[in-house]
Amino acid sequence: MSTNSFLPHVLVLPEDDANRQLAIGFRLEIPFALSRKIQVLPIAGGWLRVLDCFEKDHVGAMARFPNRTMVLLIDFDGQRDRLDRAKAVIPDNLKDRVFVLGAWTDPEALKAILGSYEKIGQALAEDCREETATTWGHELLRHNAGEMERLRQQVRPILFQ
Amino acid sequence: MIRRLYVHNFRCLENFELPVSGQPSVLLIGKNGSGKTTVGLALEILQKIARGTNRVGDLVKPKDLSRGRMDVPMRFEVDVELKAKVYEYVIAFELPEGFKELRILEEKLAVNGKPVYTRNGAQVHLAKAAQGQEKEASFRIDWHMVALPIVQEQSTTDPLFIFKHWLARMLILRPIPSLIVGDSNLDTLEPNLQVTDFGAWFSGLLAYSPSAYSKIDDYLKQVMPDLKDIRNPVIGTDSRSLVVQFSNDQGSITVPFADLSDGEKCFMICALVLAANVHNGPLLCFWDEPDNYLALPEVGHFVVALRQAFQSGGQFIATSHNPEAIRCFSDENTLVLYRKSHLEPTIVRPLNELQVSGDLIGALIRGDVEP
Repeated sequence: MSTNSFLPHVLVLPEDDANRQLAIGFRLEIPFALSRKIQVLPIAGGWLRVLDCFEKDHVGAMARFPNRTMVLLIDFDGQRDRLDRAKAVIPDNLKDRVFVLGAWTDPEALKAILGSYEKIGQALAEDCREETATTWGHELLRHNAGEMERLRQQVRPILFQ
Repeated sequence: MIRRLYVHNFRCLENFELPVSGQPSVLLIGKNGSGKTTVGLALEILQKIARGTNRVGDLVKPKDLSRGRMDVPMRFEVDVELKAKVYEYVIAFELPEGFKELRILEEKLAVNGKPVYTRNGAQVHLAKAAQGQEKEASFRIDWHMVALPIVQEQSTTDPLFIFKHWLARMLILRPIPSLIVGDSNLDTLEPNLQVTDFGAWFSGLLAYSPSAYSKIDDYLKQVMPDLKDIRNPVIGTDSRSLVVQFSNDQGSITVPFADLSDGEKCFMICALVLAANVHNGPLLCFWDEPDNYLALPEVGHFVVALRQAFQSGGQFIATSHNPEAIRCFSDENTLVLYRKSHLEPTIVRPLNELQVSGDLIGALIRGDVEP
């Protein structure tokens, strides 16, 4: 009777506690009637562990549940190749359902500028809902633009419409 | 919304202030015996006063004095913001030598800093009403009686009425589902701690605001998609008994409320909390371990539903030991309660003031989260 795994839903796999709090803030902004369509998973404990956990625990499950979308929430630590490295572990048949997002350095830097993690998450959700880029356009987040565009097309209908 | 709750010399709470100002939802965490439930008990005393219990002996006992300390008053102070006004209520009890029951030392209700009434010992002083139509008045009452339930409010706009009404409607919940059977012979908007009067609360809320059913139905159909409706038929002269109907393409079934699972009864309570906050609120809801009785995949949804509901009004305070529930809050709205020993008082710190590196749940399991 929980999130129906056969209906469209989103799982968020955060790298660390800062990203988890950000995801919780995002989740709080989802319309009440749709809020069971998203679940924030326990933290993986590092970006490499996110990828490891995704491969071990989620690739098989995603094949079983074709309406499952996953967001891997990692820190880019200023590394330009991190998105490619992350995408390399995503099987081709799942690439359209898996998104890799995160702060360019780490969310701590974002927090210093934008407020608490939860508030940042709420602001990011508001951008998604309103189709704006006020917070997503921040210099520490704007590198997500490509993934965000895909996300907007696929996830927005699940969580905001 | 509570701006400040101060408790002194009550059980493990000494010079204790709960920092919940500006937070629509707050989580209290800490080891067993750290004082989380005692915060709820302190609120319960205030709630009982507003619901009409005025005998001091029915509210607090000498054993409630921290480590039996009789030379210091037991004090409760709450500042509440309601419709842009700050209501400040203070009550202090003392236990003079030779007394077996505590008595009132001091009591006060003020709005935006202006007293509605003040009291020292037996002497109560009613301030002049804001409109100027009332005169000041002084009278004496039994020092074992609390004044708040006794002083007559003038109208529904009287600050005394507004505050007392809000305090009485606080939801302080520690449900025991096995005791909840769904029968009722009265209506209420003020459920008890264990929610054994669920049927009466259901009836009362719908009698007060019939449209609350749609909020109840919205939530329950999310968690139990095969729910058709809840009925509350008359079963005797003055009694009702809730039944729940489920249906899908295979047919339908009617289940007496008492036969629902413990977790399903908690969904029902949650639905009423959400509806009450909208239709009879904004409310303060203190729920001691809301994750109890829930299946693991439900915990997060359940807690987030409550957090979401109170974002737009009211205040939700939860306690928990459940990792999944704890993960639904953030450093800024998680308060850590801590006690070094049974001889020392509770200390409270926001999680964001503590040095917790890495996984919070791991740190909690290791016992590393200490102020």
